[in-house]
Amino acid sequence: MTAGAAELERKLADMIAGLSDGEISAEEVLAGGHSLSALGLSSLALIRLVDAIEDAFGVDVDLSGDLSSFEYVSTLAAHLADLLVPGRPR
Amino acid sequence: MTVSGNDVRTVTFGGQRDGEGTLTWGQRLMWRAVHLMGDSQSFLNCPWVLPVYGRRDLAAVLEALRVLLERHESLRTTFADTPDGPVQRVAGRGELTVELVEAGQERALAAAERLAGEMSRTVFAHEHDLPLRCAIVTADGRPKALAFAFSHLAVDFQALGLLSARWRGLLRGEDLPADAWTPMDQAELERTEPYLARSARSVRHWRSVLEEVPLEVFDHPPGEPEDPRFIEVGMESVALAGAAVRLAERWTISTTSVLIAACATVLARVNGRRRAVMQLVHSNRRDPRTESMVATVGQDGLLVLDLPGTDFADTAQAAHRSALMAYRNAHYDPYAMQAMREEIGRRRGREPDLDAFFNDRRGGGSWPSLPRLAPGEDLAALTGKTHTYVTNAWPGVRFKVFFTVGTAPDTGQLSLIIDTAYLSRETAREMLLGVESLLVRSLTEAVACP
Repeated sequence: MTAGAAELERKLADMIAGLSDGEISAEEVLAGGHSLSALGLSSLALIRLVDAIEDAFGVDVDLSGDLSSFEYVSTLAAHLADLLVPGRPR
Repeated sequence: MTVSGNDVRTVTFGGQRDGEGTLTWGQRLMWRAVHLMGDSQSFLNCPWVLPVYGRRDLAAVLEALRVLLERHESLRTTFADTPDGPVQRVAGRGELTVELVEAGQERALAAAERLAGEMSRTVFAHEHDLPLRCAIVTADGRPKALAFAFSHLAVDFQALGLLSARWRGLLRGEDLPADAWTPMDQAELERTEPYLARSARSVRHWRSVLEEVPLEVFDHPPGEPEDPRFIEVGMESVALAGAAVRLAERWTISTTSVLIAACATVLARVNGRRRAVMQLVHSNRRDPRTESMVATVGQDGLLVLDLPGTDFADTAQAAHRSALMAYRNAHYDPYAMQAMREEIGRRRGREPDLDAFFNDRRGGGSWPSLPRLAPGEDLAALTGKTHTYVTNAWPGVRFKVFFTVGTAPDTGQLSLIIDTAYLSRETAREMLLGVESLLVRSLTEAVACP
């Protein structure tokens, strides 16, 4: 994993921990042993996460299709990195 | 002093500030609902009971009530139409008259529940009235419970839960700081980016659905309705709750998503359609600051569920994804939404009828006191204990279909308000039992959908 990818995962894990009111720790998220929904990320927390990602990174997150990239922080970070590619419509 | 033979007391309050401002999105939605419902708007009132914990005397209870009013601007707010649109007005000071009612032979909490229901039948004059009425139930001269009727313009179910928790703290003698985030703050925030961008996106999502959704909820024409026309059929089923919990664990989705999927499926079956369209009543407390705000925040999301044509497991996963889309697009300025809906109405000849609803009133999305079920226990056997009943009827409530998951902590409470011009009470009962059957059967077999 590149330093940039690790940093992105860390940022997202901190966001998730903050949005879950302490129910989920950043370390649990980063360990990747369980999906975010299995860790207890509720639908409302997921919507909050999407809001927070859009606000922090200035991207437009699409929830209408396949949601598998929201299952783990690693897949979410990869999805976000893709959205952040310069020249991609946001 | 007495009113209708009972003693009354006056609670005099003085808040930190007063003010006037535009309505929040949640208030705008409720303001419109209140006016659309006219004389039936008392349906929107919220009866609520707060027990008096410990042996508190009347003075302590009145003092706690004063603090509750002072700390929550929403409870000191009136609403008025102005040439620039409706506004909320926060009173800096004021009085609430509280009736004292002796429970007599009745249990105090039961008396409070009855009183709360009675007080909720009267419409609020929002321009003049505080958005709550209160009576204190006493027994043997001691206060035992408070009965309230709240206007839905002031609270939603999450707000009522917050008030309950804070009331308990106040009676324990804890300090209650003033609301850190108020409806006036929220209304200001909703006039800024990124809120306006979110609203625009939600409106786009709704527009894409409304451009092609059938104009009617039902394909069949209305028949001869019952009198009263709108009734509520209820069901209490431990099997429903037990099955929803097991399926939610199996599919790592929420019990709410499981129930949405099942309700949407039975609705689609009644219609012979492959697509179910329902409005989801959503708590909508997306900004963390709104989580502890006493106000009406909820807005409706629009669920579009295409039944995948395989089994209920796939339907539930699809419903989960569709519900996320609905929740995400439940954040909008109701004025902008209404303008779009009217535009669609002009283009299509009339606005599509979206009078099919689903509301999960459980705060935490669980049944905390559900009877312990052994792992693998056959839930089909439990369905024999399920009972159904016909409850309230409101002549002016114009829902075609309205599913509600109730707040009973120990059983699956699912009710369905219907328009009997379109569905018979027997069909409604079959739909509720159909939801139960779908879930219980899905524990042991792949149930085809539709």
